[in-house]
Amino acid sequence: MKVVTGVIGNDIHVVANRLMDLSLNARGYEVFNLGVNTYLEEFFDAAVETGAEILLISSLNGEAEGWGREVKLLKAKYKSLDNLTMMIGGNLTVGSGNAEDIVPRFKNYGFDLVCHQVDLNTGLDMLEEYMRENKHS
Amino acid sequence: MSQLQEERKIILGNENVDSFDFDEVQDFVKDANEQLFISHHFATKNKMLVQPRGGFPTYEKQFALYDFFVKANVDVLPLTIDSNTRLNDYATAKKMLRLSEANEMDMLNGYPLVNHGYRTTRKMMTHFNLPVSLRHGTPDARLLTEIAIASGIFEIEGGPITYLLPYSKNFPLDKAFLYWKYVERVCADYSTLNKPINRESFGPLTATLVPPAITIVIQLLEMLLSLEEGVKSFSVSFSQQGSMIQDIVTGKVTRALADHYAKQIGCEDAHIHLVYHQWMGAFPTNRDSADQLINMSTVIASMVGADKIITKTREEAVGIPTKEANAQTVANTQYTLNILGGLPAITDEQEEEILTAEVHAIMEAVFNDPADSLWRKVFNSIKNGIIDVPFSPHIINHNNMITIRDSNKNIRIIDRGNVPIPDHCFEYEKSCCDLNKDTTSIVNDIIHDIGIMQ
Ligand code: B12
Repeated sequence: MKVVTGVIGNDIHVVANRLMDLSLNARGYEVFNLGVNTYLEEFFDAAVETGAEILLISSLNGEAEGWGREVKLLKAKYKSLDNLTMMIGGNLTVGSGNAEDIVPRFKNYGFDLVCHQVDLNTGLDMLEEYMRENKHS
Repeated sequence: MSQLQEERKIILGNENVDSFDFDEVQDFVKDANEQLFISHHFATKNKMLVQPRGGFPTYEKQFALYDFFVKANVDVLPLTIDSNTRLNDYATAKKMLRLSEANEMDMLNGYPLVNHGYRTTRKMMTHFNLPVSLRHGTPDARLLTEIAIASGIFEIEGGPITYLLPYSKNFPLDKAFLYWKYVERVCADYSTLNKPINRESFGPLTATLVPPAITIVIQLLEMLLSLEEGVKSFSVSFSQQGSMIQDIVTGKVTRALADHYAKQIGCEDAHIHLVYHQWMGAFPTNRDSADQLINMSTVIASMVGADKIITKTREEAVGIPTKEANAQTVANTQYTLNILGGLPAITDEQEEEILTAEVHAIMEAVFNDPADSLWRKVFNSIKNGIIDVPFSPHIINHNNMITIRDSNKNIRIIDRGNVPIPDHCFEYEKSCCDLNKDTTSIVNDIIHDIGIMQ
């Protein structure tokens, strides 16, 4: 399965991104890693170009809230992305946020899976389960 | 008009700057209170200066943070800049500042200095009348530095290497050198008017398994590039590495070689300081553990004999800290520094020798590059992997050097990549580690070593 990943906005935290690359490969995905400092358009463009089923965005430095608000608007401009599974994880607010508020808010922004301060492998397990369930339904 | 002055006019003609008054700013710096200059505090205070980190989007929140720091007996105030401004995206910074002002929620991870401007910011700096350090991570910091100095901020952190390799994916490295040359010259020029402006290099780099030889080489090169342009007060720095002896050795070798290389270019009149960063890597989420880690960092900084310590908070793993948590670290750090006494003098001659030989070998390879100026030599050396920073997100960085921790938690080089680590040093580094494992276990060890404090 093809997955596009990277770190959104003006964010340069790369360590988790490198580990993400390793883990996704080890789990058998075909990985297109755009690295840090990637804008929303670049993610969507890459999803179109590669025909990826999954878009997996990281955000560590607190910018996610700002970019998240633009997701629906921008995604609507792409015709072929309706079936794209969208996941975001990392540290999704500035300051200490509360997952109970953050998860529904980001789902509203258009993400199917939201992981605020969730360990990488726990998050990827959630993704696998989600993909399994969605294939059957 | 000099070429620099012409360039300054263009930079300050930026649409986000509200008419920069060169003469007024010059007079302000000339008459500025000496308390605003960290170089004055280094010269007159007989203690390790304590400086936190911190930047909030709005003027009011930044002011309130400083109030808390002052109550906690801070020595040096920080001004941490948001990530949009760092990458010169002033439009996004402006939008997020408006949203932060309108809502309860902070939409920026720092203070957008360019958008606030120097007339406003200077009011805050002169009100507190303490030295302020600009913390930013900006490859092109020309505009930011101008606005900072005009605001009364007389310490500028960073450099063309330390604010590029950890902080950018594809900003052109040659441009970074030229843009930082501008910063050095502006700092050097202002330094003739009053006390010197202090420049500080950012030794922590990616804060992820960077070996001391790489850190020191980069500290020395940025120091030389700065002194070359006429800067008279400079701080070299590094962050806690995970092993106390490795930190002590690193501090000693850094100081000795900084003096050595400054002298070599005839700049022994410059004042060189040593700065220590409390643990900069992945923090424990448990706040009590974080407090213990921070306290241990303070003890090690004392063993290292640092001139300044830069603090973290118990909320590091969680997010931008509250002003309460941030000020608490300042008070705790001052307390620990006050009660520490009778520190033993510790040395490890073998480690010092190995590290010194590694640094000299890399420096020599840089100097031997045929280019005609130091910045070009350094540029070429990064391009061909003579300098290689583990976990740099930048495309120019080779990422071929591999490091791991030995059983004493020292960071060791197990693959040199293209870095000219002398053979006998490399053999020593490898001999400290258990390498009779398959690649997967070594990768798992590296992941473990990144999270060593968690
Ligand atoms: C190392 C570090 C740096 C290094 C980064 C080097 C590099 N290029 O990568 C340096 C020193 C350069 C740095 C700079 C900055 N940093 Co920093 N940094 C850290 C630190 C200490 C560790 C990050 C790290 O590498 N962790 C190890 C990796 C493996 O884990 P991780 O990134 O935490 O990610 C885990 C999970 O989130 C998860 N994950 C990540 N992505 C995804 C995605 C999915 C889908 C899933 C399921 C899981 C997942 O996987 C990881 C492992 O479980 C953290 C604090 C901490 N966590 O301790 C701050 C931190 C992330 N930094 C922060 C900030 C703000 C910055 C700066 C903007 C400066 C500033 N204003 O303070 C600049 C960045 C400038 C920019 N343009 O972005 C803040 C973010 C604040 C917030 N969200 O409220 C933090 C939290 C510190 C703090 N408390 O203020 N930083």
